[in-house]
Amino acid sequence: MHPAAWLVWATCAGLVTFTTTDPFYLSMIVAVAWFVYAAQRIPGPMARSFRVFAIAGLVTMAVRTALVFFGTVDASSVAFAALEGARLATLLVVFGTFNAVTDPFGVVRLAPRRFHEPALAAALALSIAPRTIAMVGQVREAQRMRGLRTAGWRTLPALAVPVLETGMDEAVTLAESMDARGHGRGRRSRYRPARWSTGAVVMTVCALVAAAVFMVAAFTGRGGLHPSTFPLTWPDAEPVLLATIALLAVPGVLPRQKADG
Amino acid sequence: MSDHALRFEDVRFRYPDTSRDALTEVTLDIDEGTFALAVGPTGAGKSTLLRASNGLVPHFTGGTFRGRVTVDGRDTLEFPPRKLADAVAFVPQDPGASFVLDRVEDELAYGMENLGVDPAHMRRRVEETLDLLDIEPLRARSVRTLSGGERQRVAIAAALAAGPRILVLDEPTSQLDPQGAEHAVAALQRLVHDQGITVLLAEHRLERVAGFVDLALGFSDGHVEVGPPAEVIRRLAMGPPVARLGRLAGWDPVPLTVREARRMGAALIGDAGPPRVQVATPGPALVELRGVEVRHGDVPALRDIALTIGRGEIVAVMGRNGAGKTTLLRAIAGVHEPFRGRVTVDGHIPQPGVDTGMCPQEPESILFAETVADEVRTTLKARGLGTGPEPVLEALGIEDLAGRHPRDLSAGQRLLVATAAVAAGLAPAILLDEPTRGLDPDAKDRLVRYLRRHAADGGVAMLATHDVELAAAVATRVVMLAGGEVIADGDPGVVLGDSTVFAPQMTRAFGPGWLTPEQVAEALA
Repeated sequence: MHPAAWLVWATCAGLVTFTTTDPFYLSMIVAVAWFVYAAQRIPGPMARSFRVFAIAGLVTMAVRTALVFFGTVDASSVAFAALEGARLATLLVVFGTFNAVTDPFGVVRLAPRRFHEPALAAALALSIAPRTIAMVGQVREAQRMRGLRTAGWRTLPALAVPVLETGMDEAVTLAESMDARGHGRGRRSRYRPARWSTGAVVMTVCALVAAAVFMVAAFTGRGGLHPSTFPLTWPDAEPVLLATIALLAVPGVLPRQKADG
Repeated sequence: MSDHALRFEDVRFRYPDTSRDALTEVTLDIDEGTFALAVGPTGAGKSTLLRASNGLVPHFTGGTFRGRVTVDGRDTLEFPPRKLADAVAFVPQDPGASFVLDRVEDELAYGMENLGVDPAHMRRRVEETLDLLDIEPLRARSVRTLSGGERQRVAIAAALAAGPRILVLDEPTSQLDPQGAEHAVAALQRLVHDQGITVLLAEHRLERVAGFVDLALGFSDGHVEVGPPAEVIRRLAMGPPVARLGRLAGWDPVPLTVREARRMGAALIGDAGPPRVQVATPGPALVELRGVEVRHGDVPALRDIALTIGRGEIVAVMGRNGAGKTTLLRAIAGVHEPFRGRVTVDGHIPQPGVDTGMCPQEPESILFAETVADEVRTTLKARGLGTGPEPVLEALGIEDLAGRHPRDLSAGQRLLVATAAVAAGLAPAILLDEPTRGLDPDAKDRLVRYLRRHAADGGVAMLATHDVELAAAVATRVVMLAGGEVIADGDPGVVLGDSTVFAPQMTRAFGPGWLTPEQVAEALA
């Protein structure tokens, strides 16, 4: 699958999420993201990023809601904060899916030459989370085989020190390797640019349509995108808009990506 | 272009915050089309010199640098590593950390993309390099899912693909099985012969390379002497088993290859058959596996394994990359539950750290304390043992490192420290997963002594290894795996002697049954 198709898909799903705080629409987006993740994830450490970002989403939502308790607490403000939090959480889930279904470095290669540096920095930063998680698992098991349990605060150094130091060493090796292999010489050519498949075109168009419909709904104030919380009312959802969100599920029914997508 | 591919002129280098020169007055020339080997104990300056040859030292390390290094006529002080990328490629010791992109194929193209190589040419070179290193089937894989050996081959390929005139490699075969190592070294030799490329590599397992190289750089304490391999290796008192035999038997020059050793020794040995192997009867069973199947997800990694290992045995688990060696150790350690069958240690399901202690492939992943002694104390405390760290440090011959910070040590020393940290728990079954990277002869000797002592005290030691010479020297039994099944199991003389790939040098030179230079020297005496 062309990485640009995924970039468009994620951007559109993000835009749709951004226009609404309606729990039905948000739930639908989460369901669609999960469906796409389940169908298209690339096996390997990056596949974990869906779970990581889903958990981060839940935490974000909880924190956002908890903040209300520092001010006036009533049902309306709690509901408002929870929905705002849910929107952020949904954005994170979409982002997690994007990470799990595409190679972030493939996306970097799309960046125009002058944006190559920041794009690469971004991709490296993105890959840190799943790599660290894999490393945590590895260190925990290694310590266990030596007879050390790593749970709780007192044993944190046994886990954190090897993870952080190895992470640091790896980062330095990577920086050296990039330099030694000519990174930043200013000339670049491109190896086997990705090609567009029919499926990729279809999913791109569907994603753009979904985003467009929600943008129109947002500008014209239709579709109950933001359920009222002052006064608190039961949210509503338009079947047409729910069906529009379903357009984002198209990548989930396309043939599974081969590793060499 | 100059005749000298690589030239060091009176180079002196000291890392920041250290009180000792890592390189001292190094002067050397390596001509184009030379296959050069850097040899010497760990910490003697090999990696520093390798990294100085493309400017990583001092551009990435800082420190005090004097003298001049020129690569292809360019001064490394004026040209940072990226400006030398078209001339020299470098493969670091830990190839996994050097990958920039995700897919193998893209990783191979990365260097060429940076150099602005024309796409059609790039495509062709990627295909050629995939074939040269025998990694075509890996082309679409994510580099993060590769095994250690696969990573190493991909890293070499990625360096080569960029088309450098000089290729610098730091222990490029440390994680390769014997066959893979032979392929990789043969590929390097072909580059030297056919394309006039200059190759400089550091390697501890000299039996894999000594016969191929034209020039040796012998390191001791930052000093470098350059000369023909036989001379340098003789003076350093290191070398492959055949060289060790030559020294023991007083031959001059010492042989470097199996062929030379055979010529010099065959007549002397004559018809004296190999020594009768004293098969020690193993003690009562400690580790038992019955019909064990282990899976990774849905994929079986080990099938129908039945093994009984008695107290006092030292078992080398061998087999090509991906044969299931690590998985077998993890199953015995008690961290990977079998899908079918039963693993027991001392009659019950093994409890990691208590019944078994395993030293991981990356010793760094368990080291966290401020000092070596504290590292050992942590294990003792976790196991509720009242003893001090001294006995176990002594058992591994590292009592002098007690006060050092584990991260400041060389790779070989770190492995010994990690083994001490594992051994301190007094588990009867000690498991080592590929104790190879950075393991110089001195560290190897200490490890061997510890393993023998542990077995003599009634324990079991198992090591997954590609190092046939280590297996020949220490193992009392060899278990050979292929595709997740045991294909041979028995006395090292028989199992290794029977194999063309896994035969140690003494077997190759003098026939099955001969395993170590000491054995042969004794027969000659």
